[in-house]
This record gives sequence, C-alpha cells and structure tokens, in this order.
Amino acid sequence: MGPEGLLLAVNYAILGYFLLINGVYMALYALSFAEISDYARRETFSGLDDLFTSNYAPPVSVIVPAYNEEATIADSVRSFLSLRYPLHEVVVVNDGSKDGTLEVLKEEFDLWESDQPVRLQLGTEKIRKVYASATERLIVLDKENGGKADALNAGICAARYPLVCCLDADIILEEDALIRAARPMIESGEVAAVGGIVRVANGCEVDSGRVVEVGTPRAALPNLQIVEYLRAFLAGRTGWSKLNCLLIISGAFGMFRRQDLIAAGGYARDTVGEDMEVVTRMHRSLRERNRDYRILFIPDPVAWTEVPDTLRVLRRQRDRWHRGLIDTLLRHRKMLLNPRYGTTGLLGMPYFFLFEFLGPVVELTGYVAFAAGLALGILSLEFALAFLLAAVGLGALLSISAVFLEELRLRRYPRWRDLAKLTLYGVLENFGYRQLNTLWRVLAIVSFLRKNTEWGAMERRGFDAAERKSPARKP
Amino acid sequence: MLNLELIKLAILLLAGLNLAMIVLIAGVKGARELRRRRLKNLYGRIEPDLDGFLISGRLSGEAQEKLRRLPPWDREILAASIIRRVSLLRGAERERLVRLARELGLVDRYLRRLKSRRRWKRAQAAENLGYLGGPDVVEPLTALLSDRDETVRAVAARALARLGTPGAARALVRSLDDPSEVTSLRVAENLEKLGPLATEPLLAVLRTRKRRARVLAARILGNLKATEARGILRRIALRDWDVDLRAQAVLALGKIGNPDDLPEIIEAARDEAWPVRAQAANALGMIGEVSTIPVLQKLMTDPEWWVRVNAGRALSNLGETGEEALAEILEGADPFARHRAAAVLETRGAIRRLVERLSESERARRTVRAMIRAGATGHLRHLADTLPEGRERSLLRGLLEAGRGA
Repeated sequence: MGPEGLLLAVNYAILGYFLLINGVYMALYALSFAEISDYARRETFSGLDDLFTSNYAPPVSVIVPAYNEEATIADSVRSFLSLRYPLHEVVVVNDGSKDGTLEVLKEEFDLWESDQPVRLQLGTEKIRKVYASATERLIVLDKENGGKADALNAGICAARYPLVCCLDADIILEEDALIRAARPMIESGEVAAVGGIVRVANGCEVDSGRVVEVGTPRAALPNLQIVEYLRAFLAGRTGWSKLNCLLIISGAFGMFRRQDLIAAGGYARDTVGEDMEVVTRMHRSLRERNRDYRILFIPDPVAWTEVPDTLRVLRRQRDRWHRGLIDTLLRHRKMLLNPRYGTTGLLGMPYFFLFEFLGPVVELTGYVAFAAGLALGILSLEFALAFLLAAVGLGALLSISAVFLEELRLRRYPRWRDLAKLTLYGVLENFGYRQLNTLWRVLAIVSFLRKNTEWGAMERRGFDAAERKSPARKP
Repeated sequence: MLNLELIKLAILLLAGLNLAMIVLIAGVKGARELRRRRLKNLYGRIEPDLDGFLISGRLSGEAQEKLRRLPPWDREILAASIIRRVSLLRGAERERLVRLARELGLVDRYLRRLKSRRRWKRAQAAENLGYLGGPDVVEPLTALLSDRDETVRAVAARALARLGTPGAARALVRSLDDPSEVTSLRVAENLEKLGPLATEPLLAVLRTRKRRARVLAARILGNLKATEARGILRRIALRDWDVDLRAQAVLALGKIGNPDDLPEIIEAARDEAWPVRAQAANALGMIGEVSTIPVLQKLMTDPEWWVRVNAGRALSNLGETGEEALAEILEGADPFARHRAAAVLETRGAIRRLVERLSESERARRTVRAMIRAGATGHLRHLADTLPEGRERSLLRGLLEAGRGA
C-alpha cells in the first residue's frame, strides 16, 4: 500500500470512528431523554416535603475539605449548616492550610479543642486536632496537608452518619440538594452512590451563599462551558447511570454510603482524578463482593460552581482531568471488557478507553490526515468542506439537544435571552473551542507519559491555588 | 471515500434537525409562557367563586354552571384550586369543599381515571382522590396498591393515608411487603401518619413470615409507641432468627418506654449480633432507668464501635448518675471506652460543669484527673484558657500541669 492508500485507509478508519462515536452519543441521548422525562414526571409525585419529616431519612455527614479558604470558608459552612435535611452534620477538614482558615473557623463558630476520637478506617496524614462546636452539628479536623483525597478520607473517618456527602468548600448547594441526593439512597438499599448535577454559577446572582437568579455570563468561555456541562451531565451521565456504569461522580458534589466507600478503600491519594477513581473502584469493589448495587446520577440536586474564565486556567483544568482519567483507566484496566464487572466492564470502560481517552488522539490524527489528504489531492476541497460541515452539524445537534433537554424538563434558565445564547454557543463551540480541548487533551496524554513518576509528589502539594480561584470541576 | 452526494444529504438532514431543535426549544418555552398566562387568567376566574363559596357556603347557580361547563383540561385547574384549599382547611369548610368537588363530578372523573392506561394519569387521579374522596374510594385506591408502576403504588399509599379510615390502614399494611423498596417505604411513612388505626393490622403482620414487612412493622409500632405490641416485640427481641427484626424489636421496646420490658432489653444487650446490642443500648438510654447503668458500662467496652457509641450516648441521657458512670469508665482499663466516655462527657457539657465545681467536689477532681490520665486533655486545656480567672481555673491549670509532669 502506497502513502496515498495509507492516507485513504486512515481517513476511512477515522470516518468509521466518527460514525461509531456519534452513534454511541445518539444512543446515550435517547436513553437520557427517556430517563430525564421519566424522572421529571415521577418527581411530581415524589412527596419531597414528606421526606423532610420522615423517620426513614438516615442522617448525612457533609464533608468539606478546605485548603487556604479563609476568605470564604465561614460563609460556606454557614450555608452547608442551613441546608434542609432532617439531620445532618458538617465535617470541615482543614488540610494544613497556610492561611487563617482554621482561625476563621474557630472564631466564627466558637470552636473548642475536642477529645472526640476519630475512627481511622482509612489511611490519612496525621490529624493534629479535632474541634467541636456548641451546635454538635459542626466538627472541624485540623490535619497535616495531604491533598484533597486525603482530606476527604479524614472527613469520612470522622463522619458519624451512614451517608456522606463529599463537597468542595467553595461550591454553592441548593437548599434541598441534600434531600434530593439522599432520596435514591433512602428509597433503595441498593444505591451505593449518587451524583448530582454541577451547574455553572458564572453569570448567576448570588446572595448570602445562595443562587438567587440564574443567568448566563457575558464572557464566551464560561458560556461554552455551560453548554459543555449540560451535554456532559444531562445527556452523558444520565445515560451511563441508566446503564449502571457511571464511572464518575463530580468531586464537587457526591453522596455515598459511608460503609461502601470505606469498603472500597476511600479516595486514592496518589491520583489527580480522585473523583473518577473512587467511583470506578466502588464499581469494582461492589462487583467483586457480588453486591446488587446501583451508582446513580440524578439531574435535580444542584451544586453551583464557578468555572474558569481564562484559557490558561481552563487548560490546566482539562490537563488535570485527562491525566486523572488516564490514570483511573490504567489502574482499573482489569475491568476492561471483563464480564465479571457487568455493564461497567463491558460498556463503560470500553467507552472511556476508546472515546474519552483515545478520542482526542484519533480526532487530532483525523485533522492531520484530512489536511494531508487535501494537500495531496486525495480529497477534493468540496468534499472536505462538506464533511467538515456535516461534522459541525452533528456536534451542534448534540449540544442544542442538551439545551433542549434542559428547557424541556429542568428549566433553570428563565430568560429567552439566555436560552438563545446557549443555543448559539452550542453551534459556536465547534469552531475552535472543541479543537482546543482536543489539543489540550492530547498534550495531557503526553504529559501523563512523561511525568508519570512525578505524579504523587505533585498531588501532595495540596490544592492548586490557581485552580481554586476559578475552581476546576469535571463535568 | 464517501459519496459527496451522501454527505450533502447528511448536511441537509443535520441542518434540518438543528433547525427543528431550535424551533422545539422556542416552541416549548413559548408554549409554557402561554400556558402560564392562560392559567393565571383561569385562576382569576375560578378562585373568586371558590372563595365566595367558602364564605357563604353556597355557589350561585351561574357560578355552578360556569364551573360545570369548564372544558376537561380546565377541570384539572379547578381540581388543583380546590385541593389547595382542602389541604389548608379543616372541619366543616373542608367538608363543604370536598362535597362541592363531588357535586362538580371531580370524584367520578378521577375514579374513572384510576383505570387509565397512562400511569401518570392514574397517579394524578390517586393523588387527587386522597384529598377529595371519602370512604367509598378506599377500595379502588386499594386496588391501585397492586399497580404495575411503583410510583402509582406509592401515590396510592399516600392517598389512602390521607383518607385515614380503618380500611385504608388494613390495605396499607398489606402493602408493607411490596417488592419495591420505594413503595414499602412510602407505605411505612403513611402508616405512621395514620397513628393508632394502624396498630392492629401491624400486629397481625408481626405474626406472619414476611421478613421485610415484619421489620418495618416493628419499626412503625415503635414510632407509634404502641403499648399493645410490647408482648410480641419482647418475644421477637429474644427469639427471632432475623437479626434486623430483633434489633428493630428491641429499639421499638425502647421507644415505647415501659420499664417492665427492661429484662428483655438487658438480655438483648448480650445478643451475639452487634446490631441488636447497639439497639439495646439505645433502648436502655430511651427508658432511662439508672439501674441499667452497669449494663451500659459493660456495653461501653463492647468490641463494636457503634455499640460503644450508643452506650455512651445512653449513659449521658441518664443525667448526673450517668455522668458519674462515664467518669468511672474514664478510670477503667479499656482505652477505647475511656476515649468514648471523654467524648460523650464533652459533647453534653458535663466536663465544663465538672470543672466549674473543681474546688468543692472531690468527684469532679477525680474525674478531671482521670481524663488527664486518659489523655483527653484537649477540651480541658480549652477550658483552662477560656474560663474566667479564679480558683477553678487555677485548680484546673494545676491539675493539667501535674498531669503533664506525670
């Protein structure tokens, strides 16, 4: 086969890949449409108010890891304490902050040093002190810095209740988010973990730690991410959840059954993708123990987060996410195509390997092969333009469908202007933004391969200050 | 490569789909806006008639005719308006509204809808009948407890509980064993709302072999503080093979709170299964009889964490005597029990009270020394720093200093 034949073969292979990946997306969308429609109808009859007074709602421990959060921690904790739930406590873990996070907490909540023992069921860095408050609903752990995963593990150990909700310190939770996230666990003992939706707070009006008016921002970058989040959460995770092979629950907001989380070994401290890794490991652990279980995504417990508004921070975020994804997939490669792990092994893992991990490489190869085909005259300009147009049309369709799903069932954006904007960005993201993401993810693979041995040391530095300013959460 | 014509066709198709999606977004939003306005308008026409009816007790012929002639889709709005008022009212006014709903044909309408092929219509009909129906709708709602859809079954359970008749209670109890956890949970919640009406049928469930239903029944009976259930709960607590059921039965005895059941609860505290021991500790705390302190002190040295936690909490519920018992544990040999005792004393504010009596009470001094020996000095140090200057503070500082030296 000559170079031209090879190029043609590459183009065919990429075309096949393109059709396959979009076929999978379409199938996921169909599942998600059905699931969210059904969920929204059932929601009408859910009796959520009854649950607030139910004797059957197990208490929840909200775990809040904090590193250098002195400016916002008091408001965040107040807002978490005021969530509507029959009984919940807040466990703040000060992960060796270098600023005045601990002092602010001590002062604002009148904490005292406590002798309450922490049952160390997971490995963590040394817990220096435990602080208690008069409300009995707030516990603060002061520990040596070990990173977010380590802080979460310490919090899980100190948690007194059977359900734990792991959060980022600077997230804004809607008032009823806890009860909505806990509901599937209250209603079925099989549900081991629940992820809620993370929405973009940029452009929203926030007052006293609550989002009071939903809107879209002026800047383009956050708008592009709103569409991306809608697509990932509403269309992607809902579908995977239906198939019981959801591999990720956002680190910003997830609810877990404490005993299952501990049985799986808690959060891994030597990865940058601890949120995906822990869910994948829970699948593995539960399957290996032959447990009937479900790990769910539900679309209405909402956590609001601020997304990066500069390319530099966004790039760091995407780089970290992709390295985390690769690390998780390689750690748990045993599950790939292994029937023992059910749909997770047979559907979820192959999808993430083939499309999420390798997708950027294939896409970039496609762009190169396409350009080479054009340059060598194997492809006509007319054909190339037509093909690109079709690809853009398909990409736009997927994004606009996610906006439609949002408007049809969830309706968080009340203004016409915002909907029009999101629809427009659903089209625009195919011109540059998508390609930039592809490039960043390919570079992340290179970075993963080159820096593999430095991985742990980097993570042990603690939370990344630049990303904390504009937090970086996986959609 | 692909045929160019085929790609062009795909482009056209995708452009059409994109356009259709945009039209759909606009259409859905537009339709919703229109519906909102229409509803506002409709409520504006209906509500004065309903309010007038509530004030005067009668509906004018014209108003009655207007409400009767509402098209089917607007009758849902009428029902929603009536239900909103029914849910807020009690007594004669509520009865009048329910009667009006029946006269306007709403009850018949929803009874027919219970047989709809669409599950959401069945669910909505059941929900509405819970507000607007009477004893005559218990039977059709009971039939819905076997519906193929779990949401419909759960809504039917809620509706039956709202009706609150003995027949509804019996029907609900039969559904405690529903294969869906959601439904059985909703049934359990609603049985609790029914109160004493549910006791007899629940007792009958305890005599069956339906495992999950029995566990739930024991739990509900405990929450209802059903003294009639004590006999069977005592037997179950000691003899049943099912650990969960024994645990729930012991806890229920604690909630009922009769001291005559203490021998059984104390025996359950020696059960080989830790969940039963943990609930026995809770039950002892609920009854609050000081004679059980030695049992709780023993449970504080249990190998299982949760048993120790519950026993500690139970002791702290026993007032000063319980606190003394916890102080004794501080002087014991078991380090886990000592830590737990220190933690419980701290959370209940007992340590502060002890420190404030350091100069006058030998017991307080002994307890504080024991805490220091147990290594539980964090809270004591905080008190030493924050108490007002005085004798107690100096004494505490002295004790802490001596402890450090030792």
